[in-house]
Amino acid sequence: MLSWFVPIITSVFLVAFTLYIVRVVRGPTLPDIVLAIDCLSYDLAVFVALMSLYYGTPFLVIGALLLSLWAFIFDVFISKYLVRKDLGGG
Amino acid sequence: MVNAVIDHVLLYVGMTLVSIGAAYDVIAGIGMIRFPNFYVRLHAATIGAVGGAALPLVGVALIALASDQLGSYRFGVCMVCLLTAVAILITAPTGSHILAYAAYKARASPREPCVHDALRNFIKEGGEEE
Repeated sequence: MLSWFVPIITSVFLVAFTLYIVRVVRGPTLPDIVLAIDCLSYDLAVFVALMSLYYGTPFLVIGALLLSLWAFIFDVFISKYLVRKDLGGG
Repeated sequence: MVNAVIDHVLLYVGMTLVSIGAAYDVIAGIGMIRFPNFYVRLHAATIGAVGGAALPLVGVALIALASDQLGSYRFGVCMVCLLTAVAILITAPTGSHILAYAAYKARASPREPCVHDALRNFIKEGGEEE
């Protein structure tokens, strides 16, 4: 059952990846790029979870949690840079 | 017998959730391409985060509960997937709100197709120290 379901869903997710990557390349300003990279990393988390199901290896799925938390850290640092113009710990 | 029925129900419900999530994700990608402005693209990003990432992760957790290939690791995979879904539901709105506030305050992106700007009198612009 999963042997035909996961490739179809993965191809649909690859279409969405392509649309987000077009926005990352074309994005006129910095917040557009950051927003598209956030969506890209959330979708990579789903992609990694699907790969873990497909290959039957349970240790791949730990990467999904780290990807979803990395996007939030990226948001916070870029926002701090935009408002304060430095990344110092002050 | 009962276990086989429960496994089939979990498998089909999970596959339905993952399919709905993939459709949401393509819709969010089209919106991310075609919307004119950063503040409008935030709506597409929210669709891509909640409908396109948290919902398929719940579906993957249900599929992993019914999977024979993972063995006794399937409960661990299910819990990590549910934990990732909850983390996305908490952090994605917070992150996009922080980013919108910073972009508004620093004037980092144009506000050109603007109908009504309710924050004009409340947030001091410029981004320098006050």
